[in-house]
Amino acid sequence: MRLGDPPKMQAGINITPLVDVVLVLLIIFMVMAPKMRKGPEVNLPNTAKPPEQGDERGKILVTIDDAGGLWIDDQPVAPEQFGESLRAAAGAQPDPKVVIRGDARLRFRQVREAMSAVEDAGFRGVGLVAQRAEGKAKGDRDHATQ
Amino acid sequence: MQLNSSGSSLQSEINITPLVDVVLVLLIIFMVVVPLLLQGYDVGIPKTSAEAVPAQAEEVQVVLSIELTACRILEPPAGEGLPADCRVNLNRQEIPATDLPARVAEILGGRPLENRVLFLAADDRLNYEGVLRIVDLAKSGVDNLQIEFLTAD
Repeated sequence: MRLGDPPKMQAGINITPLVDVVLVLLIIFMVMAPKMRKGPEVNLPNTAKPPEQGDERGKILVTIDDAGGLWIDDQPVAPEQFGESLRAAAGAQPDPKVVIRGDARLRFRQVREAMSAVEDAGFRGVGLVAQRAEGKAKGDRDHATQ
Repeated sequence: MQLNSSGSSLQSEINITPLVDVVLVLLIIFMVVVPLLLQGYDVGIPKTSAEAVPAQAEEVQVVLSIELTACRILEPPAGEGLPADCRVNLNRQEIPATDLPARVAEILGGRPLENRVLFLAADDRLNYEGVLRIVDLAKSGVDNLQIEFLTAD
């Protein structure tokens, strides 16, 4: 900014502040994105080659947290109301897919009981959500917060 | 950057506006799509989904059982894969877990796609992540493997 210079019109818009703002927004979204998922955050099991299950929209997400608590989408549910809540969550959808996000530290029994409850509520088959083992960054962070 | 003062009318700056546009659109696409994608294993429980599984005579059923005595995974296994000493029972034959893909391919690989069913009986006390890693190993042996969990009750 040499003010002493003869005034010269600057025709282009200075986009540097715009880019700054956009980058900051990008970083904010990158940090917030994992929290936008439905249900509480759990430490998903890492496996070598989990098949793609597609988008989580249109599916009923059952989450089992590390304490064994059951959640349907964003709502914690009591085990005795689980089947009922699951049917309520399915609503009018003809054959919704149920996926279970279980914490890696759970005993198999807790997941098996949830699978049985899903089947008892009239849904056929479930998806067990895992994450690819290369996704180390997230896994490590989750382990660090234990 | 007052290039015009040199008398040259050439524009030496790259026009980055289209680049920024494309980057912003990509950013929005990734923001919307990435956190919503799921990866996982489709499994069934034969109790009520029996009609979904082709009926099989007992001698053609393939049962994989994971017992606590042979594969003691009580905590999430460290790193990737399974502990080296983990052994599983495939059709009542004890094999190291690492042989699982090859054995599953050998037994089920020759069957038509809709008959590739593996019944899995896992001990209740096992760690869930360990069980899923065994499922992953079994699935890596053949395409289109259907997993059915056997339950005690």
